[in-house]
Amino acid sequence: MELEHTIRQTLEQVAMIANCQLIDNITDDTVLLQSGLDSLGFAMLVAQLEEDLGIDPFSQMQIAVYPRTFAEFVSVYRQALAGGNQNQ
Amino acid sequence: MSKLVIVTGASRGLGLAICRQLLQADYSVLALARTQSKELTQLQQHGLHFYAADLSELDKIPTLCSELTKQYGRPYALINNAAVGYDGVLATMHNTEINSLLNLNIQAPILLSKYLLRPMLLNQSGRIVNISSIIARTGFNGLSVYAASKAALEGFTKSLAREVGKAGITVNCVAPGYMQTEMTSSLQGDKLESVKRRSPLGRLATPDDAASAVLYLLSEQAAAITGTTITVDAGSTA
Repeated sequence: MELEHTIRQTLEQVAMIANCQLIDNITDDTVLLQSGLDSLGFAMLVAQLEEDLGIDPFSQMQIAVYPRTFAEFVSVYRQALAGGNQNQ
Repeated sequence: MSKLVIVTGASRGLGLAICRQLLQADYSVLALARTQSKELTQLQQHGLHFYAADLSELDKIPTLCSELTKQYGRPYALINNAAVGYDGVLATMHNTEINSLLNLNIQAPILLSKYLLRPMLLNQSGRIVNISSIIARTGFNGLSVYAASKAALEGFTKSLAREVGKAGITVNCVAPGYMQTEMTSSLQGDKLESVKRRSPLGRLATPDDAASAVLYLLSEQAAAITGTTITVDAGSTA
């Protein structure tokens, strides 16, 4: 839950910097592309999380992975932090 | 606090000239090169930071960028200067040389830009300057692979400029003509005289001439310039 909270907070923070308007209620099933954050905003989210958590799971993976929903995005970070990234 | 600029291929030639001018203009300079030169060591006494890195090791670039940002903070600018220029006709150039040239001249700058523009995105401000060459557009016997890498760099520059402009980051190229550096040391005698003769200014551009264009692109005055190439060749392609 703590990780999800961090990601939510960071999402709001970068949305503000990137001048993007997030939708009101982001749930596990929210499709990332419909969250209100644009593609550059997602790059900022990954960059800020790398600074805060010290990991960039997408660069660590051997294959390209694009999470579709918010829950999938959180799951990628959860797996990477647990050292259990199955794509490595 | 002075702005941090990362310069690749900093140990000699144009990279070294860029580092010198950046220090004179009070930027904080982080010089990347495989090995440290005597000149770079001297510049360290004036505040330059040196970091040993072999950019042909592409797999290590993500970790390298992460370490640089952690150790020195978010960069204001990246100068992609490191390059090799093997001279030889394509038909007999070894495939390993083609590979290593493309790795260092185009893949490494793309990856460095990818990872170092992230902190620039968070700052909503930054500069990327890619060092191209007039060869990208003029062609030169024996430099076809080098030319391909530089033309690729110019194409990369234009599209990336469109991608990150919204975040206050500019991306440009500086395309020097022939300069008397170690890289062009094979250009001697009649060939060298012919290049000088064709230049309207009757001389070659110097590394300092090209470095000045880089400094300009980093300045506030160049805030509205992005996605373009500044040619510094003493007019030889005019």
